[in-house]
Amino acid sequence: MLSALHRRKRIGFFMVLPLLLLFIGLTVYPFAYMIYMSFHRYTLASWEKPEFIGLENYKEIFQDRTARSSVKFTILLLAVACPLEIVLGIGIAFLLRDFFGERTFRSTLLIPMMVPPVVAGIAWKMLFNFEFGPINYFLSLLGVDRVSWLGTQFFAQLGIILIDVWQWTPFVFLVIYAGLQSIPRDVVEASLVDGASGWSALRYIELPLLKPLIWVVLIIRLIDILKIFDLVYMVTFGGPGSATHSYSFYIYKVGISFGWDIGYASALSVILLIVVSLLTNLLIRFLRLREVLGL
Amino acid sequence: MRWLWKIARAVLVIITLFFFLFPVYWLATTAFKRSEDWFTWPPSFFPRYWTVGNFLGLEGGFFGSVTTAISTITPYLRNSTIVALFVALISTVVAALAAYAISRFKIGGMGFVSWIISIRMLPPIAAALPLYVIFSKLHLVNTWWALILSHLVFTTPFSTWVLITFFNEIPRELDEAAYVDGAGIWQSFTRVSLPLAAPGLAAVATLSFIQSWGEFLMALVLTTSKDAQTLPIYLGRFITGWRIAWGPLAAAGLITMIPVIVFSLLMQRYLIRGLTFGAVKG
Repeated sequence: MLSALHRRKRIGFFMVLPLLLLFIGLTVYPFAYMIYMSFHRYTLASWEKPEFIGLENYKEIFQDRTARSSVKFTILLLAVACPLEIVLGIGIAFLLRDFFGERTFRSTLLIPMMVPPVVAGIAWKMLFNFEFGPINYFLSLLGVDRVSWLGTQFFAQLGIILIDVWQWTPFVFLVIYAGLQSIPRDVVEASLVDGASGWSALRYIELPLLKPLIWVVLIIRLIDILKIFDLVYMVTFGGPGSATHSYSFYIYKVGISFGWDIGYASALSVILLIVVSLLTNLLIRFLRLREVLGL
Repeated sequence: MRWLWKIARAVLVIITLFFFLFPVYWLATTAFKRSEDWFTWPPSFFPRYWTVGNFLGLEGGFFGSVTTAISTITPYLRNSTIVALFVALISTVVAALAAYAISRFKIGGMGFVSWIISIRMLPPIAAALPLYVIFSKLHLVNTWWALILSHLVFTTPFSTWVLITFFNEIPRELDEAAYVDGAGIWQSFTRVSLPLAAPGLAAVATLSFIQSWGEFLMALVLTTSKDAQTLPIYLGRFITGWRIAWGPLAAAGLITMIPVIVFSLLMQRYLIRGLTFGAVKG
């Protein structure tokens, strides 16, 4: 006779089973297959069977100039877009707090992050238009000449950064704003009574309390930028030249749109996967799962 | 000094809102502009003549190409709706079962929950390639199921995660009381906990729907024709050629965007909790 607790645990296991099967079928198996393929020469464009070539695919990455430039562009995105989003997001959270109509503003700022990236790409492609785009029009009001936004390396890269900032600063804002609401008001008020200025209350009390949250959003943004694809596809298609090939976009080109080179694309993906898992581990540490989930 | 700061603050708020809303405004108004207003200098910030021709496939015919007509959108709209509905339904059911078991019986513990989060963080391109090869062996490429299954990979972990926090908030004593009254686990789950977690279920179903609706990469890789392609892919096809038919494209974009915006505004209270991994209660 099983104890009641034991019986419940067993039923609990059956409740988790669908999820387990789903993930094993759709992630564990495919990734094992992908790692296996990364050691093979295998293209879907030919009829040849996969041929084992050891680490050749991985060695190729180091000699591949487009791969290198896609890594560079991705690092540029991480280094510029991420900090910008964090700083702006925090700034806007403090700006809107206790401001007239803050709830409405919070809702409106939810919109950019919910717009499907493909649609955002269309909107921005219109804004960036060389001849008729509103952005060049605004610049002309300031006396600046028309800028070929998607036609030159510098501006195309800047353009992608700008769109990412537009779409994801609201995410940082929402998290920080929600975090601010959860800071007990009396702590801050007590410090104000004690003669602290609003600025030092913010600097020495609120920001430190928000620190763990800032880490969480930072890591989530880093991970998400490593995946950036839709925007690049819609707005620049990696161009001009290979200036805006993000790493994910390059894998797509190698594996699907150009070469159907599954072996090489798998090797590139394995590296991406390793980087993302390292970041995810960091994220899990900062999320303080045990407290949040009461496990 | 104080009023100076007040004015500065108001100006900053206006700039912020302008930056974040203008692209959406531009898309929405372009969808109602007549073709002669798509290419003007200065750009027409407010349409002189409003038209619904972009939606009906009447404007932009002079480009001579079928892809500029929004009247061809129907199959894609159908595919998107079916795929997103199934994804929302299946991932909510699977996630609710798992989240309940994790919340109540600590099945799998920390390791299991960490694994679930790491699946949420997977780069889609990395999953897309092996899934393409596997699905083509199973003859699933260019079917709804290819999309439903691949979207589940990204929606289910998220839903599970959020629902764990929802179930945690439902007092355990309610379950205990149900057991005492002779209910089994299944009954206490379906009759007690599930109804109480209803807002959470609605939130994760909505989020899954939104994610699946806007998903681009998997649909791009795993589908090839209008039998299974979704709205984002349809939109992606517009972006070719040297002069793009902005009106119909914006109209199609607006159609793609509207359900998402409506849902997200309706559910925003719960979405924020979902988006922040339950770490913060919105």
